[in-house]
Amino acid sequence: MLAKINSYALSGLDGYGVSVEVDIHSGLPSIDVVGLPDTAIKESRERVRSAIKNSGYDFTPRKITVNLAPAHTKKEGSVFDLAIALGILCATEQAGIDEHKRPLKLIDDYVFLGELSLSGKIQRINGVMPILISARERGGKKFVIPKANANEAKYIRGVEVYAVDSLREAIALLDGQSGQPLVGSDIVLGGEVAASEDLKFVKGQYSAKRALEIAAAGGHNMLMIGAPGGGKTMLAKCLPGILPDLTEREALETTKIHSVAGILDETVGIVTRRPFRSPHHTTSKIALTGGGSSSHPGEISFAHNGVLFLDELPEYPRATLEILRQPLEDNVITVSRAARTVEYPANFMLVASMNPCPCGFYGSSAHECTCTPAQIQKYMGRISGPLLDRIDLHVEVDEVHYDELSSSTASESSATVKARVNAARALQTARYSNTGIYSNARMTSAMIKEYCALDTAGERILSNAFDRLGLSARAYTRILKVARTIADLDGSDKVLSKHIAEAVMYRSLDKAVK
Amino acid sequence: MMLLSDIYLWLAYSRVSTRKINKLLDNIPPAELWNSFADGGRYALDDGTMSKLKRTRNVEFIERAKQYLETNHIGYVTRVDPLFPTGLAQSEVDPPFALFYKGDPNLLRTDCLAVVGTRNASQYGKYVTDKFVEELSERFTIVSGLATGIDGFAHRAALKSGGKTIAVLGSGLFNVSPASNIGLFDEICRTGLVFSEYPPDVHGTVYSFPQRNRLVSGISKGVLVVEAATKSGALITAGCAAEQGRDVFAVPGDIDKQRSVGTNNLIKQGAVAVTDGRDIMSYYGATSEKKKHNTVELNFDEEGILHILEGGEHSFDSLAESSGLSVPELNAVLSSLMIYGLIHERSKNMYSVTLR
Repeated sequence: MLAKINSYALSGLDGYGVSVEVDIHSGLPSIDVVGLPDTAIKESRERVRSAIKNSGYDFTPRKITVNLAPAHTKKEGSVFDLAIALGILCATEQAGIDEHKRPLKLIDDYVFLGELSLSGKIQRINGVMPILISARERGGKKFVIPKANANEAKYIRGVEVYAVDSLREAIALLDGQSGQPLVGSDIVLGGEVAASEDLKFVKGQYSAKRALEIAAAGGHNMLMIGAPGGGKTMLAKCLPGILPDLTEREALETTKIHSVAGILDETVGIVTRRPFRSPHHTTSKIALTGGGSSSHPGEISFAHNGVLFLDELPEYPRATLEILRQPLEDNVITVSRAARTVEYPANFMLVASMNPCPCGFYGSSAHECTCTPAQIQKYMGRISGPLLDRIDLHVEVDEVHYDELSSSTASESSATVKARVNAARALQTARYSNTGIYSNARMTSAMIKEYCALDTAGERILSNAFDRLGLSARAYTRILKVARTIADLDGSDKVLSKHIAEAVMYRSLDKAVK
Repeated sequence: MMLLSDIYLWLAYSRVSTRKINKLLDNIPPAELWNSFADGGRYALDDGTMSKLKRTRNVEFIERAKQYLETNHIGYVTRVDPLFPTGLAQSEVDPPFALFYKGDPNLLRTDCLAVVGTRNASQYGKYVTDKFVEELSERFTIVSGLATGIDGFAHRAALKSGGKTIAVLGSGLFNVSPASNIGLFDEICRTGLVFSEYPPDVHGTVYSFPQRNRLVSGISKGVLVVEAATKSGALITAGCAAEQGRDVFAVPGDIDKQRSVGTNNLIKQGAVAVTDGRDIMSYYGATSEKKKHNTVELNFDEEGILHILEGGEHSFDSLAESSGLSVPELNAVLSSLMIYGLIHERSKNMYSVTLR
C-alpha cells in the first residue's frame, strides 16, 4: 500500500513542501530512501526502525521505498524522521486508517516535522520558525512539531501548531484522541540590561561612551583603538544595551536566521534583544559570510539587526575582512554555490577594536611603545582603506587610571542613554520616512547635501579642521554624517559648528602621526 | 686634458672611501692622480681600492655617466664647483667628491640648520619638531636625512610652513629609503633640494647611512636633536657636528623616558639646551619677527577649559569630571581649541596647551 505524508524543507530562509511517499512491496527486506537525501536522512532508516519498534508497533522486515518529492532538490537534516515513520505505519495499516481500514483523509491536512530518537521520542529540530512562516505563505494550516520547538512556534499567528513529544502522541493526534493547538503568544521585546553590560558600571572613558551613544543613535560603524586592558571589549558589550529596542519585524527576521542555524535559545524561542556576535579572529571566511555545501548563514547574518564585534581587527586575515565590504554596503549577503543561491539579510553595525601598534602602547601616556615605525605601519596596513572608509567613528580608548576606577562618581545608566538614542532615532525615522533608509549612517551624498547644510561658522570650523589637523578627503562625508547624528542627539534641526567640532574628535585615524 | 670636475666625478663613481682618497689628495693634486693611473699608478692603497679606481678610470665611462645624469635630470656639483658648500670642504667633514642632487642647488648657499632625531618618534616628538621647525624655517633652511620619525616630521613641517628644506640621502637618488617617504622625496625635489654623495643607482648600506650624517651637520650651522634614545643615528650627527665645530642644540626631555636619554646626555656633555625656536635664533643673534596669530574669539566654556589646561595637562576623563561641562560640550570645546591650534593632544586622550 502507498502512503503520502506532508513535510517541509528549507532552502536558505525560504521553504518548500516535501511529500514523503512510502511504498511497501515484495522483495528482499530493505529500506531505501530516494530523492537526494543527505547522510542524516539515510541514517534515519535506523532511527525510524527502532522508534517504531520501541513505540510498540510492528516492524516486520519488508521491502520499503521512501521517496522525498520533489526528487531533484537536495534534502538535509533529520526533520523528515517523523514523516517517514508515520508513512511506514500508514503503509503497513497500523495508523492513519479508520475502523473500516480506509485511509484517513485528514492526514493530508497536516505537515509533520521532527526528528526521532530510538525510543520514539521526538527531538528538537532547526528552522521551525522560518518553516512555519514560509509554509503559512504557501497556504499550510496544520503543523505537527516537536514539543521542544514549541516556544518559537507560538509566536507565529494564523497557523494551527501541535507540539508533540513522541511518535505515539503524533498518532493519537491523527486518531483524534488528543491534541490542543498551541496558544499564540505576544512577542515581548527588550528586557533588563545585564549588569555586565550596563554603562553605569563603566568607570571613566567618557569620550568612548559618548562615541558609543553617537554610534547607536546614527547606526554608525565604529573602530576603537587603544592599549590592551583599556576596556574596549567591555565598552562594545555595552552597545546592545543602548541600541533602540528591536521592532517585531526585526525580531522575527533575526529569529528566523538563528532558528535555521540552531543557535536560538529554546527556552525563550525568540530573539528579544539585538544580537551581539563576536567571532574570533581565526574564523573562516565561510563562517563569517555563510556558505558551505548547504549554504548555511554566517556570523554577519547572525548579527542581523545587531552588532558584529571584531576584536583585535588586524589579527583577522585580510581576505576575511575584505569580504565584509559588500554586505556593509548592501545589508544582505548572497551566498552562491553550485547547488543553490541563497540570500541572507546582514544588516549589522560593525564595531571593531584594535591596538595602535603591535605592542599596544603607541601614543599611550602610561607606557612607552617599543615598536619600530615600520612595525606600526605594517600593523596599520593590515586594514585596508576601503574597509576603513566604511567606518565613521574612530575612538581612542586609553587605559583607565586608578583614581577613576575607585571614583564613586555615578555614571549614566544604559537606560538613560538609550532614551536619548531612541529620541534621536525617532527624528531620523521621521526624516527618512519615504526614502528606504533608517539611519544617518546610510545617507546618500544627495541626502548629505540636503540634511547636513552648514552655516558659515560650521563651514569655517570644518575648513580650519582640515587645514590644521591634516584630515583626509575621505573624512569629509564621515564628519558630516556623524555631525548630523550629534545634532539629532542635541535635538537640533540644523548642523551647527559645535556638532562639527565634536564629530572631528572622532576621526583620530585621519590625523594620526605618520 | 681632463677637467677637474670630471676627475672628481671619476672618484665619486669609483665608490672608494672618501677618507682614503682624501688622505692621498693631501699630497698629490687630483690631475696628477688621474695621470698616474694611466700607467697603473703605484700608491699605498689596498688591492680593492686600486682595482675600483682602475676600473672606472675611463674617459668614455665618465662621459656616459654624465649623459645618464643629464637624461635623468640629476644635477651634480663637484668640489671645484662654486656651489659646493664651503661647510663641506672642511677637512673635518671628510669632504665628498661630488654631490648628486635634484631640486634647487642654490639652497646650498643658504643658512642651514639640521633638525634630527629618532626614527622611533613619539607624538610628543612630532609636536616638538613641528613647533621648532615652524619658527626656525623663517630664518633657516631645514636640513635632515629623510628618514622616518623626526627627520620626516622636520621636512614636512618646513614644507608646510612655507620654508625651505634639504634632504641628505644615505643612498643614491634612485633608491630612496624608506620607500614610504617617496612622496615626501618628490615634494622636496620640487620645492627644496635633495642630494647624496653617491651616484643615483647606489643602494644604501649599513655604512652609507651613518656616513651621510657628517654631511647633514657639515652643511649646517648647527644641529638640533629633538628626541634620541641612548643609541641613535641622531647622536652620530651630533657627534659629527661637535667634531666639525658646529653647534649642537638639544631639547631636554623627561628623565625617565627612553627617547629622552640621548638628548639629556647631550646636554650634560655641553650641548645647548633649547626649548623654543627663538632660543636658537637668539643664539645666532637673529631676531624672529613675532608671528601674527589670528586671534580667535573664544566662548566662555572654551576660555574655561583653556584656563584649566594652562595649569597643566589633563586627560579627557579628568576634564569631564572637573570642568562641569557635559561630555558633548567638552568634546566640542576641545575639538574647537585644537582646530584653533590653542591646545594639542600630547599623548592619547591627554591634552595640554600649545605654547606660543
